[in-house]
Formats: sequence, structure tokens, C-alpha cells
Amino acid sequence: MILQRPNPLRDLFIVLGYWDHIFSGYLLTMWLYGWALLMGFFFGLLLANLRQYGGRFLSRIATGYIEFIRGTPLLAQLLFIYFLPSSLNIPVGNWKIETSFTLLNKDITIILLNYRTLAGLITLGLNSSAYQAEYIRGAIASVGTEQLMAAQSLGMSRISSIRYVVLPQALRRVIPAWSNEAAYLPKYTVVVYFIGVKDLFSKAHLTVAFTFISVTTYVLVAIIFLVTITIISKILDIVHKRTMIPGL
Amino acid sequence: MRVVDIWKSYEDLEVLKGVSFELGEGEVKVVFGPSGSGKSTMLRCINMLNPPDKGEIFLRGQNINSSEVNINEMRARIGMVFQNFNLFAHLKAIDNVSIGLRRVKKFPKEEARAKALESLKSVKMEEWADHYPAELSGGQQQRVGIARALAMKPDVILFDEPTSALDPELIGEVLQVMLDIAKSGTTMIVVTHEMGFARAVASEMIFLGEGVIIERGTPEHFFVSPESERVKSFLQQLDILYGSHEKLLK
Repeated sequence: MILQRPNPLRDLFIVLGYWDHIFSGYLLTMWLYGWALLMGFFFGLLLANLRQYGGRFLSRIATGYIEFIRGTPLLAQLLFIYFLPSSLNIPVGNWKIETSFTLLNKDITIILLNYRTLAGLITLGLNSSAYQAEYIRGAIASVGTEQLMAAQSLGMSRISSIRYVVLPQALRRVIPAWSNEAAYLPKYTVVVYFIGVKDLFSKAHLTVAFTFISVTTYVLVAIIFLVTITIISKILDIVHKRTMIPGL
Repeated sequence: MRVVDIWKSYEDLEVLKGVSFELGEGEVKVVFGPSGSGKSTMLRCINMLNPPDKGEIFLRGQNINSSEVNINEMRARIGMVFQNFNLFAHLKAIDNVSIGLRRVKKFPKEEARAKALESLKSVKMEEWADHYPAELSGGQQQRVGIARALAMKPDVILFDEPTSALDPELIGEVLQVMLDIAKSGTTMIVVTHEMGFARAVASEMIFLGEGVIIERGTPEHFFVSPESERVKSFLQQLDILYGSHEKLLK
């Protein structure tokens, strides 16, 4: 039996022959990431405000939700949401929204939304909201009650005091801590592989199945994540500097 | 304005034990006393930032702490200047002053800006209108704080130790502004230990100790013939710190 000598460069070229798969998987991963982050932000903002200002009842509900999400595995949350409709005998349908384009003579098709992708999106968004809520709440608390008091002393209602005085400061302050979530979330999106969403990770898996070249493929995926997250961190760094309050 | 028998306690600690006084149009009332005597709490009760447990506060005959009154409308008529300035850190000086006009009085942007600038002029801060609070000295920040309260054209302005967080050389500029607005007829309740200011403009001084009014009277009364030992020893303490009040009387 003749063993071939390992040749990483040749392996890399073979893997790159599947670039259209990897590229479409990457686009889907970033698509999931973008929406989940956005959904998590707005829901997290709501949770943070409820926890901070919601009174005894609402703040307990928000706290309970946040602790529940943070205390259970993401994969378990995903499978729960994915299987929930069918366990209640609710038909999920076989619908999809997709987009396709041609790049360098390759047809690339991405399923933007179907039942699986939607389940993944909802899970990632709900999960991220709990973490984002905690970052935002910390920033709100750091702005302090004195600013709120000063706004109320002018006759501003509690809600508009929060809206015009507390949140503009809290959202500036939260950026460095919030960057953590923005950098974690792309990596967490890979869980959708388990419910058959064709994201970057599942496309990598497919490439390995075609080529039997595993290490090179996964190293390539790792490098793609590394570069993406570095860019995200850099952008947020710039945003943080741009939005800093002069003199502070 | 009339304050009738207000009581306030935090858990087991009784901070205010029945404080009453009246304040006429254009009057300046100076409240002083040892720390922990309830001075700041009293101001926060008056504009309902910390509502009193008991007692009533009337502003031009209207009961502030009745449930039929919109407290936000009432607060817009009661200005407040804070010990730590509490300017909105993310807003320029001009926007700190105009935010109340825009969000509470619903003035259009340009009109609010013009009125805010006017208010900044009255505290001699118009040249600093486009600076952020963190770019200003403590004295400048406090003057913006005063302009912010003035801009709302309130019936009364409450000052909560407005100079006690300031370096000595910055106190003068703030006191000068306060003297100016007092002389122009602004109704004020001032918690302060600046006896020179009190002597110059106070119509009545109130000595607060352990939640009750221990002694009240004109500045002359306090500086010439205070009655209670408590007040005498407190004024002596101030003398040691700031120099004799007899000098202030000259």
C-alpha cells in the first residue's frame, strides 16, 4: 500500500475548488448573524429597560428570562424551538425564500428563509437578546440615577427622561462590552448545522464529504471566522471612538 | 409657595419631622444646618423627586402632591440646581439648556435654541454654548445648570448646595450669578453655607437640625443675636472655616 505524502497546498487547492459552496455558506452565516444581532439588540434593549425600570413584576419576568437563557445550552434552545411546532401538531410547511446569482461562472443559490432558517434565526436572536440585555443594563446602571433625576426635575416624564437622557449615554457606553457579543455571535451561529441549515459550517462539512480533506477545510473555516471577527471588532472600535462624548 | 408640615423617613430613619414655611414671590430663602439635618431631602420633597410621607406643598395655591395634579407639569414650574451639577453629559451646554424647552414645553427647535442662548447669556456662558459638560470647569458647569433651570421660567428655583462641590476659586463666579438672578426677582430656596450670599439676598434664613426647624429669622438676626446654642456653635464652626461673619456684615 502506497501512502501519499501529505501536501497541504494541493489539499488547499482542491478545497478551494468548492469555493462556491463555502462562499454561499459564509453569506448565509453572515445573514443569520446580522439579523440575530439586530433582533437581539432590540429585544435586549427592551429586556434591559424592563429589568431596570419595569417595577417589581416586569423586572422579575425579564430577570427570569435572562437567567433562563443564560443558564441553558444554546443547542438545547435551538432544538426546543425547532421541534416545538411539530410536537404541538402545527404544520411548518415546506416554503422557502431564496436568492440566486452567478459569480465566476458558478450559480450560487442561498435559501434566505425557510422553516429551519427561521427557527435558527429566532433561537439566535432570543439567545443573544439575553446577553445583550445584561450588557445594556450594566451601561444604564452606570449612567446613574442622578441624570434621570435631573431630567425629571425639568418636568420630563420618566419615559422621555430615559429616552432622551439615559439611553443616549448608555448606548455609547455599552459599545466596548457589547463588542463581546458581536464577536461571539458569528461563532455561535454554527449550531444551526444541527437542524440542517446550509451555513458555513455545514458547507465545510459537505466539502469534507466530497474531498476527504478535513483538517485543511476546517482550518480554512477557522481563518474565515478569525478574519470576519477581527473586522467586526475593528469596526466597533472605530464606532466607539467616533461616538465618544468630547472631554470624557 | 407654602410648605406645610412635611415628614419623610427612609426605612427607620426619620429625616424630616414636620417642616413648614412660606415663601412669597421674589423671596430668597436660605436653608442651612449640619449635614444629615434633612436639607437636601427637603428640596427633593418639594419637587417630589422623593415624595414626602406626610404633609402638603402648595404652589400658587395648587397642592403639588395631590393625585389630580400632573407631577411633570409641576416639576417644570420648580427648577432645581444640583450639588454635582448633573448636566447631561452627552449634550452640549446649549442643548442641556434647551432640552426642557423642547421636550417639555414643546418649543420648535429654533425657538428653543434662541431661548436657551438667552438663558446662557444671563449666566455669562453664551461663548461656551457648543462645549460639552466634560470640557467645562465646575463653576462653568454649575452656571449652565443654573441656566438650564432658568430657561424653563419656573415659579421657584431650588438650589441644593450649589457651590459645595466647587474649588474655592470657582465659587465666586457661581455666587455672582446667583446674586444676579436673586436681585432680578427670582424666587429661590437655597441650601448653602455661603453666609455672605445669605446676608446679601436672603429674606429669611432657616436653620434646620435633625429634621426640624430650630431657628428662623433675618440674616441680621442670625449674625447678631442667634438664640439657640445649636445655631451659635454651628456659626462658630463656619467662622473657623471661612472667617468671621462679622466681616461679612460690613
